[in-house]
Formats: sequence, structure tokens, C-alpha cells
Amino acid sequence: MRCGFCGFEFKEEEGFKGCKNCPMSSGCKMVKCPRCNYENAPEPLVVKRIKNIFKKIQLFAQRRKDTKKE
Amino acid sequence: MALFKKSKACHTPQADSPSCKKKVALIGNPNVGKSVLFNALTGAYVTVSNYPGTSVEVSRGAVTVEGQHFEIIDTPGMYSLLPITEEERVAREILLTETPDIVIHVLDARNLERMLPMTIQLIEAGLPVILVVNIMDEAERMGLNIDISLLAKRLGIPVIGAATVKKRGMPEIRKTIVNFASEKHNDFSYNKRLENDVAEIAALLKGDYRLSRKSLALLLLQRDDEIAGLVKDTEGAGYPALEEKVKETIFERRTSFHQDLSMERRRIIKGLIRDVFSEPDKRKITLNERISRLTVRPLTGIPILFLVLYFGLYKFVGVFGAGTVVDLVEQKFFEGFFNPWITGVVKHLVPWEVIQELFVGEYGVITLGIRYAIGIILPIVSTFFLFFSILEDSGYFPRLALLVDRVFKMIGLTGRAVIPMVLGFGCDTMATMVTRTLETVRERVLATLLLALAIPCSAQLGVILALLSKTRGALLVWGAFMLLIFLLVGYLAAKVLPGETPVFYMELPPIRLPQLSNILTKTYTRMQWYFLEILPLFILISMLLWLGKITHFFEKAVACMSPVMASIGLPKETAVAFIFGFFRRDYGAAGLFDLQAKGLLNPRQLTVAAVTLTIFIPCVAQFLIMKKERGMKTALLIAAFVSAMAYGSGYILNKFVLMTGIL
Repeated sequence: MRCGFCGFEFKEEEGFKGCKNCPMSSGCKMVKCPRCNYENAPEPLVVKRIKNIFKKIQLFAQRRKDTKKE
Repeated sequence: MALFKKSKACHTPQADSPSCKKKVALIGNPNVGKSVLFNALTGAYVTVSNYPGTSVEVSRGAVTVEGQHFEIIDTPGMYSLLPITEEERVAREILLTETPDIVIHVLDARNLERMLPMTIQLIEAGLPVILVVNIMDEAERMGLNIDISLLAKRLGIPVIGAATVKKRGMPEIRKTIVNFASEKHNDFSYNKRLENDVAEIAALLKGDYRLSRKSLALLLLQRDDEIAGLVKDTEGAGYPALEEKVKETIFERRTSFHQDLSMERRRIIKGLIRDVFSEPDKRKITLNERISRLTVRPLTGIPILFLVLYFGLYKFVGVFGAGTVVDLVEQKFFEGFFNPWITGVVKHLVPWEVIQELFVGEYGVITLGIRYAIGIILPIVSTFFLFFSILEDSGYFPRLALLVDRVFKMIGLTGRAVIPMVLGFGCDTMATMVTRTLETVRERVLATLLLALAIPCSAQLGVILALLSKTRGALLVWGAFMLLIFLLVGYLAAKVLPGETPVFYMELPPIRLPQLSNILTKTYTRMQWYFLEILPLFILISMLLWLGKITHFFEKAVACMSPVMASIGLPKETAVAFIFGFFRRDYGAAGLFDLQAKGLLNPRQLTVAAVTLTIFIPCVAQFLIMKKERGMKTALLIAAFVSAMAYGSGYILNKFVLMTGIL
């Protein structure tokens, strides 16, 4: 993901480091930029799932195309 | 056969073999593609760990090329050999203590002139440097032309043009690593006076160092404490004379040294890139670049900021969110329909009055807690987060940081402090935690104090905007007073707290048209997080208030606070909002909203109450995080100061408005 403040690109997992110290960590899903510490809103799970479905459909269509070509 | 074979990391037993010796450190500014190069070189076999004694992460991987083993180290971003941030300190520490056999300096071809000074510093330090001019594809697309071989000749080191994302230049990089022999590279001379100063100090350095004497002398003259410590340990008895000489030169050159050095480096770079770098005669300045420039220049940036605040905060959040939408949800839905209906249902189902009160009474969980959360706070916070997401996605925030840097410097902060300040408008508690990222302890304490004092959270801000926008001039008085408090307290605190103001600089990401999908997902996530956090709290507070009411503790608390309220010209009912505010300031602001709706506050009282509540003691969660971050003593001092300031400000403002009759 890209930080909304400094534009730094990083993996979402990298943005949860140090969250254990925060009293809000159980309810907060924010992703901290490793460079500037700005708190970014992650992509909602629903959106991720929808994107995954689209990806799978695309992949399936691509495979079918390849099979036909062969 | 593949030229480059991926191997296991150096921490494996295999790594103990004598051949696993050569270290390659990747150095460069952030976002120039170091990590992409690192991944392309090492593949999946990497270890990531915190650098000893720091929270900075360093990735290490291993690779075998033509039978030679290399350990690749991906260092944190650094802008210069003179470190400012912890990341830069770690990167330099790696250069100093891990003695890499090869240092690969990765830079962005689009910003060649700006990034080459670090190449010069690395060469000057006598390090075995390979230069990778990355992102060549983008540079070519922009019409920039870079003569790589001429640059290599002028620098006297291997230079490779690459686009690591597209794997362009990777075979050349691998080949250069394998065949690299640290030969004598070109020397870059400064003007005579600077060279003399450096030579005098370098001559006094007798020890054996990783960096060249010239480089060390320059760092000493730039007051690099870490290098001073290193030199002190190495030189032993010879150090006092050296220290004296450094002090003497710093004093002699106190007005001109830094400027002189930076001008000289610019001159060297200009000479280096002559005929090496060329850009199209008329580089087209895009609309986005024009807008970006306008937002950071004070003359145009400040009016733009006011326009953003007026249309975004006042018109959209204040008038539309807190006015139109709240009216629709809170007044029409809750007061007009839902509350009478649910009250009837509960009274029908529950025969005991005390329990009825718990759910649908004056401080009932449903009639107060849920009404406040959904009817008042949610519409305001939703519009605020929508506006916030638009600004965030457009890339406006880093420009705002640069714009306010000058003002922040006056109060002992840098533009970096904009991050917690901006976050504070979302939630002061998390913003207080983010203050730990600030450079100095002084900055952290100042930012914590200002957050507790003068930065209202989004919900509170929205409710206050809604409250005050209905009364002519009230919003202006509130805004001017809050700004005055922010600047005055910040300025005085900066005078009281000793310490230097650190330097702030940051790379600007491009300004862009916000994308609807990004705005909606960001707004949705923030709303979801906020709502899940406040709803249980609002229910809990309502229960506590109910408990306070049935035990008559609440009435006593209101009675105790009445003289204090009266002294700042407020009716005793306002005490209720302040008790709410102790739990959460947004709950208190919603309480004021209620009082105004009942017609209990005139414009003067409304403005005084809004100012006092905004400055009022931080909510319980913020106090706890202040204690965690700054320690109990500082947290208590800040809380006491903030409470006194809230009362004092309310008192002064009340007298001022009464005297002048402006409201």
C-alpha cells in the first residue's frame, strides 16, 4: 500500500509493528507507515474479497484462452 | 548457465563457510528502489531484524554469483552521511561497523542532481562505491538524457543505468559486483579555504578509520557528535588538541561553513553533470506540478489553506454534516420518531422505573448514548472523514507540512509535527502516540501538550462548528482564540523547554486527483473503526451517568461545579456537558449541542463554553496514553496545566466578550 502522507510504498503487514503498545490496538485497524508513522486506512476486507474474486475470474478466463490456443 | 544463483541466507550453517565473506550494502534515499534491487538480488531468502538497540529494521539476504558468496544488506533510507533521523544513523552505523566490501548507492535518475551529493560524500569517504542510476525508464519518458559512461568517467567509479522494477540493468549490476575492485577513484576539491580547514583537522587524525580523514574532518566540522565520540575513543591523548582545533574552526567559520560547504558541493555536482545530464529545452510543467507549487508557497499556500478550511471544514462538515444531516437524523428520526417509540416499548415491557431510566431516561443508554453516537456524532464524523480522505488522497498533507513548517519552527516544532497534529483532528489519543516519532524529547513534549490543549478531535470539532456556525461571529472568535492559544502556549513552552529545533525536510509525493474508490474505502474504514470504538464507550458512559443519577452523585457533582461555571458566565446546566467531556470530549460537545437545542445558551455563553470545552482536560484514554508515552509526572503536569488553561481562557474570554460586546 501507499502512505497517504509521504507516498512511501510498503506491505500492509509492515504497518502493524508497534501497535501492541497502543491502548486502541484492539479496535483500531489502521496501518502505520514505516517511514513517517502516518496512520493509513487499510483496504476493507469486503473490497479485498471482491478484488480477489475478480482476479480469480480473470485468471480463469486467461487459462481458458491459453488452453484454447494450445 | 545462470550467471546469478540465489543461495541461502548467511545465518545458515552453510553461511559459516569461508567463502561467505563479502558484504554488499545498498544505500540511498528512501523510495529510490533499494528494496526492489534487494529483492531482485536475493529473492525470497532474506532475514528481517531490528538493528541492535533500535526499532529500525534491516533486511539481509545472501546470494552466490559465479561461485562468489555475498551478503546483501538493505539499509534504511538516508539523505546524507551526516545523519538526522534514527534510520539514517542506522544506515551510517552499517557503513562504519559492518565494513561492507561494496557499497551500492542507488539513486533516482529523475533527481540526479539532488541525489549526487551523497555519491560525492561516499566517494570522498573512501568507500568502495558502485552507483546505480535507477528509474531510468521514467527519466527517459520525461525526456531526460543521462550519459552513464561519461558520469562513470567523471566519478571514477562503476555506474550502471537501471530500471530495477523492470529488471533492466540487473545483469550489469551482478557482473559489476562480481568483478568489482576498489580502485582509487576521482578526488573532488572544494575551494582553497575549505580545503585548508579540512586539511588542518585531518592532519591531527592519527588513528585508523573506516572513513577517510577528509570525510571525518568535514563531519566533525558539522558537529557530528557520534563521529566526535568515535574519534575521541580512537585518538586518546591526541583528542584534546584536535577538539580544540575543531572548536576554533567552527567558531571562525560559524556564519559561513554550512553555506560554503553546500555551495561547493553544488558547484562540484554542476561540473560533474555538465554534458552528462540534459533535459528537453522546454520541459512541460504539468498542471499538477503547478498546483503543487502554489500549495507550498506562503503567498498562495495560505489563501488555499483558508479556502480548503472554509469549504471543507466549515461548509461541508459544519453546515452540511453537522447541520443538515444531523437535523435529519437526530431531530427528525431520533427525536421525532425513534425515541418516543422505543420509550413506549421499554415502558410497556419493563415495569421498574429505575430500569426504564437506564434505557430510555434522561441519561438512558438508548435515548442518550445511542442518540448521541448515531444521531449527532456519526453524521459529523462521516462528513469529516470524507473530507479528510479527499485531502489525503490528493497528496495535500505533505504540502501542508512544508507550508506550516515556518510557523511550527517558531514554536519549537518542525513540519514533521504536522503528522500528529493532523491525526489529532481524527483522534487525539492515537496522535499522542504518534508524537514518539518526533526527533527530540522537547518536540515530543511540546506536541503532546499542544494536542491535549488546542487540537479538538474530529467529532468535537464537527459539533463545535455546527454549534457556532448558527451564531454570527462566534466561530470567528472561537477560531481566533484557539489559534492564539496554540501559538502562545507553543511559543512560551518552547522558550521554557531547552533544546534545538531540528531540521525538517521531506520528499513530496505527486499531487493527484483523488480517486473515488480510494476516498470511499478510506472513509468507510475510518468510520467503521471510529464507530466501533465510540459506541460501546457511549453506552458505558450513559450507564455511569445513570448510576450517578440514581445514587445522586451526579447531582452533587453538578452542584459542586456550578460556582465554577458561574464564574465563567455559564449556566449550571453546562456542568453536565463538562462531566460528559471528562469521559470523552466529543460526548461533551454533543452535550453542548443538546443544551443549545434547548435554548439554554446565549451566543456569548455558547462561545465561552465551546472554547473552555475545547481546551478542557483530555479524555481518559488520552490521559492514559500521555502517561504511557511521557511518564506520569509529565502527564499530570500537562493535565493540570490544560485544566487551568481551560478555566483561565473561559474566564478571560467571558470578560472580554462582556467588555467589548462583540457577541
